[in-house]
Amino acid sequence: MDGLTLVTTLAQSNIAAYLPIMVILTMALTFAIGNIVATKLIGPSRTGEIKGQAYESGMNPIGTARKRFNVRFFLIAMVFLVFDVEVVFLYPWADTFTDLATGGKDAALWLGRILFFLLTTVVAYLYGFRKGVFRFD
Amino acid sequence: MTERLPLLLPEIAMFIGTCLVLVLGLSPSLAARKMTGIVTGGTLLLAGILAVNTSTGYASQIGMPMPGLIGFGKALIALVGLLLVLLVAGTVDRGYERMILAGRATYNASRALRAEFYAFFLFSLMGAMLCASADDLIWLFLALELTSLPTYVMVVMSRAGSDVGGDSKAWSRAQEASVKYFFLGALGAAIFLYGFALLYGGTGSTKLVEIGAALSPSAEPNTIAIIGLVMSLVGVSFKIAAVPMHFYTADVYEGASAPVAAFLAFTPKTAGIITMVLLATAAGWGYRDTGLMIGGDRGTLPPAADVVLWIMAIATMTVGNVMAWMQTSVKRVLAYSSIAHSGYMLVGIIAGPGNGSFEQNGIAATLFYLLCYGVMNLGAFAVLACLENSSDESELQTVDDLRGLGRRHPALGWVFVLCCMSMLGLPPLLGFIGKFGLFTSGISAGRLPLVVILGLNSAIAAFYYLKLVAMVWLEEPGDAQDRVRPVPFGTRRIAAILSATGVVVLAVFANQLAVSSQEAARRGPGVMLKPRSAERVEPAAPATPESVAAVDRVR
Repeated sequence: MDGLTLVTTLAQSNIAAYLPIMVILTMALTFAIGNIVATKLIGPSRTGEIKGQAYESGMNPIGTARKRFNVRFFLIAMVFLVFDVEVVFLYPWADTFTDLATGGKDAALWLGRILFFLLTTVVAYLYGFRKGVFRFD
Repeated sequence: MTERLPLLLPEIAMFIGTCLVLVLGLSPSLAARKMTGIVTGGTLLLAGILAVNTSTGYASQIGMPMPGLIGFGKALIALVGLLLVLLVAGTVDRGYERMILAGRATYNASRALRAEFYAFFLFSLMGAMLCASADDLIWLFLALELTSLPTYVMVVMSRAGSDVGGDSKAWSRAQEASVKYFFLGALGAAIFLYGFALLYGGTGSTKLVEIGAALSPSAEPNTIAIIGLVMSLVGVSFKIAAVPMHFYTADVYEGASAPVAAFLAFTPKTAGIITMVLLATAAGWGYRDTGLMIGGDRGTLPPAADVVLWIMAIATMTVGNVMAWMQTSVKRVLAYSSIAHSGYMLVGIIAGPGNGSFEQNGIAATLFYLLCYGVMNLGAFAVLACLENSSDESELQTVDDLRGLGRRHPALGWVFVLCCMSMLGLPPLLGFIGKFGLFTSGISAGRLPLVVILGLNSAIAAFYYLKLVAMVWLEEPGDAQDRVRPVPFGTRRIAAILSATGVVVLAVFANQLAVSSQEAARRGPGVMLKPRSAERVEPAAPATPESVAAVDRVR
């Protein structure tokens, strides 16, 4: 197929089918830009020291947010992530598992699969443990 | 899905081995830590044995696109992986372990890198193995990423930080290389993922077999799928370091230490070549024993994919060889020569399977060349990994550092010469037989310009390979070469000698290897052509007054 045929084939494909997407895109853009412009035009603009502070029950800010945090925060966050992702996969699994026939071949297979998946998490924790992630001294 | 499990035994063995290594490498006891490399090697050996015993018959029974490739590819990866595991000994934690032995540091698991390094090593090889058993785009994408993601980290791990006595300049260069590799890798992945998405969008399936049916000449022209195929091929060219995605190669190989550079030159490239072979086979290449040929005699790639591969092959060969000739750093020479070798392998993919005999089968020639390349390229890098500067344990930099190597260290000199000669394609050696297949398949496919350029490039390659060989054997070592000494890791020397032996010995068994690569290149009998046009619903005829009236009457 040469270049010309390629272009014509593309041109002949059903462009009209994409019209709803185009409409949604236009609506989204109009809404976003329209709101910003409208706020600028008709909204009152009052600024002050109190108004710039944290909202209602928020804490009063002390210093800058670009502070060094202890690296343990990040380690804990990453270890948590292992659980987090695991749970994300457990939900759809649990939802499908209840639909399977009790005691059937598929049920054992699905159970085996998720147990294997949980095992990989155990390996991740074992690794974290040996690496000293849980040593808080 | 479970019917695939018997084919995945090597990967399962690799996974168990990886988990073991991950925990074992962090042990506070030195003896246990030293076991890490041995366990890694044992895992690869087991995976290799399991791979050799993969049942091709079973694989074709469950409809894999290329049943023979599964066992062949994994055995090849395990074989070269075994050489690599010998080669990477002492890459990580060298300075740190010495500090512990000298009592200047106590063992701290969070500073040691051994466990992660070997685990990443196995993960990456496992990804390449998974590519060989892919029959689906999603599977293929995940396998390719599993191959690449660990290598980004391995690049920076391979140099010691200045806190454990490493050269801070080399370390920052490794960090730069790693980041560069990662971002360009992400770009490559984005391109072929977009290609995969278009393939799925155009054909309605992620199965390679069904994509093949949708792209077959008997089906309707499918522009979106063809654009997807071309984008996938271009994106995957990052993995095999082919033009236009080759820019990272020299910098990354130079930034990484020599053993890891050898790893980078083999593992992602193997995964990429296997992916390209699978995509090309799905999209057009194929012959079957039944005599029922696909698309005429030998099958045809979609013309767009053919042209793109053709340009890529020629540009890759030429850029690789010309640039290699212009380099002064040994590792950059080898990096560009590895680019050129990717170009050679693309010639085989373009030539296609022919009538299935080894002389005509470009796919078999590519797979065979992959084995040759894996062994001989590893040997050349292994020589570099075996030598260091005595003053600061840094690696050799320039070609000049190799001056008179043959006089000082004859064994390493011979390894280097044999591997360079094999990469050049000198007759009795393995590289010649590999190139022979590429030449004959190209000629039988009628791709004469391509073959002529392949020949010209082999001639250009002679310039720099012979320059290296002359430097090693013909020149006398000077005072500057006195500081070059062998590294204290015996296994690296074993790896070097084994690959040089392989270059000679495997050439003797080339016939058997050719037969098995020919089997590997066979397309599965389960791949039946199912033109999608048959299922396609013809658009309804425009409503005419008569038909409307007819419908009304029925009502």
